[in-house]
Amino acid sequence: MDESYTNIKEAEAMLLNVGTLLMSSGASTGRVRTTVNRIADALGYNIELLITNRSLMLKVIDEQTDHFIASLKRTSPHGVNFRVVSGISRMSWKVVEENWNIQQINTEIERLVALPHYPRLIILSSVALAGSSFCALFGGKGAELVVAFVATFVGLFVRQEAIKKRFNPYVSIFFASFAASLLSGLSVKLGIGTSPDVAFATSVLFLVPGVPLINSFTDMIDGNILNGIVRGIHGLIIALAIALGLLCAKFLFNI
Amino acid sequence: MDILSIFIKAFWGGFAALGFAILFNVPQRTLVMIWGMGAIGVFAKFLLLGFEVNIALSSLVGAALIGVLSVYAAHNKQAPPLVFSIPSVIPMVPGAFAYRMMLGCMELTSTAATSPTYLKTLAETTGNGLKAFFILIALSAGVAIPMLVTRKDTFKRIKSSEEMESVES
Repeated sequence: MDESYTNIKEAEAMLLNVGTLLMSSGASTGRVRTTVNRIADALGYNIELLITNRSLMLKVIDEQTDHFIASLKRTSPHGVNFRVVSGISRMSWKVVEENWNIQQINTEIERLVALPHYPRLIILSSVALAGSSFCALFGGKGAELVVAFVATFVGLFVRQEAIKKRFNPYVSIFFASFAASLLSGLSVKLGIGTSPDVAFATSVLFLVPGVPLINSFTDMIDGNILNGIVRGIHGLIIALAIALGLLCAKFLFNI
Repeated sequence: MDILSIFIKAFWGGFAALGFAILFNVPQRTLVMIWGMGAIGVFAKFLLLGFEVNIALSSLVGAALIGVLSVYAAHNKQAPPLVFSIPSVIPMVPGAFAYRMMLGCMELTSTAATSPTYLKTLAETTGNGLKAFFILIALSAGVAIPMLVTRKDTFKRIKSSEEMESVES
């Protein structure tokens, strides 16, 4: 095989990797397209890109030899990770400005993927704090804030464990919503606080599909209507899973 | 209008945004900014609600404020705008309306259509559902439009005229 073929093959694999990483980390379709295009331009390749929610198709054309290669890659089902989105965005500018080669880009991607998440206890407690903040925003006071904190903490813990055990993502959300509303429903049953209903309604808000819904809208007005619809439906199923968990707890406690 | 209670709500709103920022694993350097933007959004929303502005419109203003700030924050802290804007608008989600709509739907399916309370429940459910839906649209639009308007060469041109280094489109 000649050299241009190996080069183009490497570029193809790298660009697909960048695209799928961005897609699964929560970037909008427009951003995936802009970033992949920017890196390909800097390396001197023309590309054609098809982006769907679960896979990317890329055709790379070498401007000098007119060779091209096309292939397909599934996006990995990782969760939202803005550190990767931000890191790849910064990297794409360095590629343009400092003329990086594929080797350098691959090392940087490896570094970005290996970057640590926040410690689990910090994630759990700050999201739980967000849960009690929601409770305060909707008019909760004192004991209700504590209930929302505990319910959110346990709910998120259940969700993380369910995802670890490879349950279906929507089922994991149902489990989390059910666990959180069981705890907050118990407080309604026991009559903790002055308006325990607020804690009950806000204890599941940590599950709201914010990223899918906002990206859905961004995609649609950006012209990527199909991707927007897919993300919107994804968000809707999450919302239904949350509601189902709440309803089960409500039914159990008869409140 | 009780300005102090709005400040307290804004304070809590900041923490709600911060929790989601950590859940979405944002870079550490953006955390303080996200707290501030979450607080500003909630403050703007409740301030307008105090002037008896429609809730969807107040949410739109709060979200648009966050959207514009996120574009500037993106250049300041070298991270894409969505890293700031998505966690910051989450404190404004219409959780209470969505919850009431869900309860209404449950009630509608379990009562007979001829029952005297049916029409009242139907009206309330429709109202809550529409509010939740339009607030959600307002939040996404408020965040997305400043990002789209200031994107690509437009923003680079603005930036280069200010002789600042452009980092992100």
